[in-house]
Amino acid sequence: MIWVVAIAFGTVIAAGTYLALSRDALRCVIGVAMLGSGVNLLVFASGRLQSHIPAIVPATQTQLTLAANPLPQALVLTAIVISFALLCFSLVLAARIVLERGDADLEELRFAEPHAPEGYKPSVEESQ
Amino acid sequence: MVHSVGDQETQRPDVLLLVLALFPASMFLVLLYALITQPLPWAASWTWVPSLGIDLTLWVDGLAAQFLLLITGIGTLVLIYAAGYLAGVTGRARVALLLLLFMAAMIGAVISDHLIVLFMFWELTSVLSFLLVGFSHEQENTRRSAQQALLVTGLGGLALLAGFILLGQIAETYSIQDLIARADRFVGDARLSAALLLIFAGAFTKSAQFPFHFWLPNAMAAPTPVSAYLHSATMVKLGIYLLARLDAAFSDLLLWEVVLVAVGTSTAVGAALQTMRERDLKRILAWSTVATLGTLTMLVGLPGQGAALAVATLFFAHALYKAPLFFVAGNLDHGAGTRIIDQLTGMRRYMPWTAAAALLAAISMAGLPLSFGFIAKDVLTIAKAESEVFKAVSYASVFVSGVSVAAAAVAAIHVFWGRDTVPREAHPHEGSWPMLFPPLLLVTLGVLFGLAPTLVDPILGAAARAIAPGLDADAVRNAYDATPVISATLSAVLIGVVIYRNWDRMHALLERAHFLDVLGPESWYWRKLAFLPKLAAWLTRRLQHGRLPGYVLVLIGTCSVVLFALVGVTWPTWQAVEVSAPELPVLLACALIAAGALATLFVRDHLVLLLVSGLVGYGSAALFLFTGAPDLAFTQFAVETVFVVVAATLLVRLRRAPATASSALREPVLRPVALVVSITFAVVLTALLLFVSAQPFDSTLSEYFGAQSVPAAHGRNVVNVIIVDFRALDTLGEIGVLLFALLAALPLLRLGRGARSEAT
Repeated sequence: MIWVVAIAFGTVIAAGTYLALSRDALRCVIGVAMLGSGVNLLVFASGRLQSHIPAIVPATQTQLTLAANPLPQALVLTAIVISFALLCFSLVLAARIVLERGDADLEELRFAEPHAPEGYKPSVEESQ
Repeated sequence: MVHSVGDQETQRPDVLLLVLALFPASMFLVLLYALITQPLPWAASWTWVPSLGIDLTLWVDGLAAQFLLLITGIGTLVLIYAAGYLAGVTGRARVALLLLLFMAAMIGAVISDHLIVLFMFWELTSVLSFLLVGFSHEQENTRRSAQQALLVTGLGGLALLAGFILLGQIAETYSIQDLIARADRFVGDARLSAALLLIFAGAFTKSAQFPFHFWLPNAMAAPTPVSAYLHSATMVKLGIYLLARLDAAFSDLLLWEVVLVAVGTSTAVGAALQTMRERDLKRILAWSTVATLGTLTMLVGLPGQGAALAVATLFFAHALYKAPLFFVAGNLDHGAGTRIIDQLTGMRRYMPWTAAAALLAAISMAGLPLSFGFIAKDVLTIAKAESEVFKAVSYASVFVSGVSVAAAAVAAIHVFWGRDTVPREAHPHEGSWPMLFPPLLLVTLGVLFGLAPTLVDPILGAAARAIAPGLDADAVRNAYDATPVISATLSAVLIGVVIYRNWDRMHALLERAHFLDVLGPESWYWRKLAFLPKLAAWLTRRLQHGRLPGYVLVLIGTCSVVLFALVGVTWPTWQAVEVSAPELPVLLACALIAAGALATLFVRDHLVLLLVSGLVGYGSAALFLFTGAPDLAFTQFAVETVFVVVAATLLVRLRRAPATASSALREPVLRPVALVVSITFAVVLTALLLFVSAQPFDSTLSEYFGAQSVPAAHGRNVVNVIIVDFRALDTLGEIGVLLFALLAALPLLRLGRGARSEAT
């Protein structure tokens, strides 16, 4: 059964990476979000998919038996919420860039590292 | 150089330095007393870093004792000399402090028996040498010289460390004495050649051997006391010391003999040629020091007992005549304001005491009878006769001796005798007593030991026995035949006189030989040094290009390559993945995930892209639902729905904004590099997931939570119990993240609204 999940996981990672490498800020944000979903699948699947009984202790017992692994579920639950927060923030940020600049081209987004002037060549003396 | 000439105010010796000279002086006396009363060797050991197997083992045998005497004895005289030479100079206390620290480092290097401890002190001497050479740091030339000395010896030090570690692994010990004791067990090891070559690199850089010799004459930018101490008597001999120390273990190896004899001889000949190209007395002395170091290296390489005795004797003789000559050069600099020999003749009228010291030191340097230098030459000749060296090496050695005679004549006769051409307005004057006492004492000792060599016999014999165990010094001396010594001395003096008579002509001739500079390793050093910043600038321009997708590409690409290598290495140990037919709901959920992911690649419109990407989330939620994780499924459903609503609202608003009209991207639909990188990354991660799943599962933690949920936390939903009870602090942090994201997003949203209302 793991191989089906692995294929789905691989597809998500490939598509997410491809989107994340885009110049378009919104596509990049969605790519990062998909990478997050992919990693959730990875964590969940590496806890093994041995049972589809929820990890709830029956009323007649005090111990969990024959149920799904609760640990990766707890981890993924936290991850889902956090990546949601991250995603909302980056989306707002990307939208803000579009509003500010008119487009969302990440190649042109270089306030911190501006283009060198035409014909400029850093000299050795300067870099020393 | 660092003082105003003729300033009588600066002639008063500095009291602080004289007081500091008492430290090494008392050490010297204690050492002398101990040497007379306690038989060698002395050993002591403490555990230092047990986890790394590094013990602080001290071992003082004849070789170490000889070095200790030179380090403390000459160290005392150097401090006394500095009291006169640096009187009134700003920063003299710093020089004195650094000299004392350097002395401590040298002592540590020669008495430690552990290779790594030795290396540590070795590096310390390099660093302190950098600080001392760079004393007059206001001058750019000095800074460059200090940097060069540090880079050359520092890089050699790295090679040395690698060589030591390799040698330690081969010999299974880091103790030098153990290593010598069990040398015959590992001399056949194939890795030994590599270890020895690395150690050679370290020793040759330190002792200024070809092709690393060029830093030493440049280091003459140091104040004279520093040059006399570091670059003549002690630090540059450390490389020779190491080679002599290991000689007992490796002297039978062909590699050892060939490399040391070849490098030593070529260094000596090259340095002798360079001696004749110089006009600065201090640089002449520096090159002749390099020549002597070459001779010492050659002697260490020669097999035979006579060579060991010659190494010990030449060590001693060189310190006794070269240090005073450096003091003489310093006195001339101080008293006449120049070290250029053309401007210095007939100086004995103004500096009689310095002239006397120069003459006696020069006699020893030339190896004339009745001096200790003659004794050294004597033993050297025996050593060469004993070990049947190549004719070429023999001739080279005669040539080097001849140049050394000529250099001695330049230092003593040319400068102090002959016509007085010094201009009166230079006010040439004799140095104060601290500048005269050290050279005079050393040359007197040189004459004394030359007349009565038995005074130093015990220590030289002990040193030679440390280099070649089982050596019988008397037997070596009894085999002594006067004829070759006399003929060697005569031919050296003859060549020396010829060179001295024609010094100006040869100088003019050699000065034009610019190919020596262009082809030399020093020009290579400067080219490489200039190349480094260019390379750094090029790399920076390539790596810091300012394009975000490029950075992400490098990041993910690097991860892929590393993980790919990991997968490749572990591949053979992998177990087969069980392939079973999946249940239908899981299959469908996975198909939904994959379809959503693939569809995002073909959608150009942002709103549609957002909706399609939601399929991945909904597919994941379905998968969670059918694999026993209903909590996850509900959370994912909720999050996806809220997110799509939020994002759609935002996008719709963006579309209304007039500025977004130009947001059509100039990006090709197919990006091959990005495609290759993303597929590689995905394949590698998928392979890792399959690998992990095939491993046996450690369920300790999950079982613990399952067992403790009801008794300890009184909750039946184990996932919820983990989140709000066992890992409650994590959840608090998670809430914090949510709030921070909200706080950060709020001003952005508000500003956006503001910008839009302004635009409309």
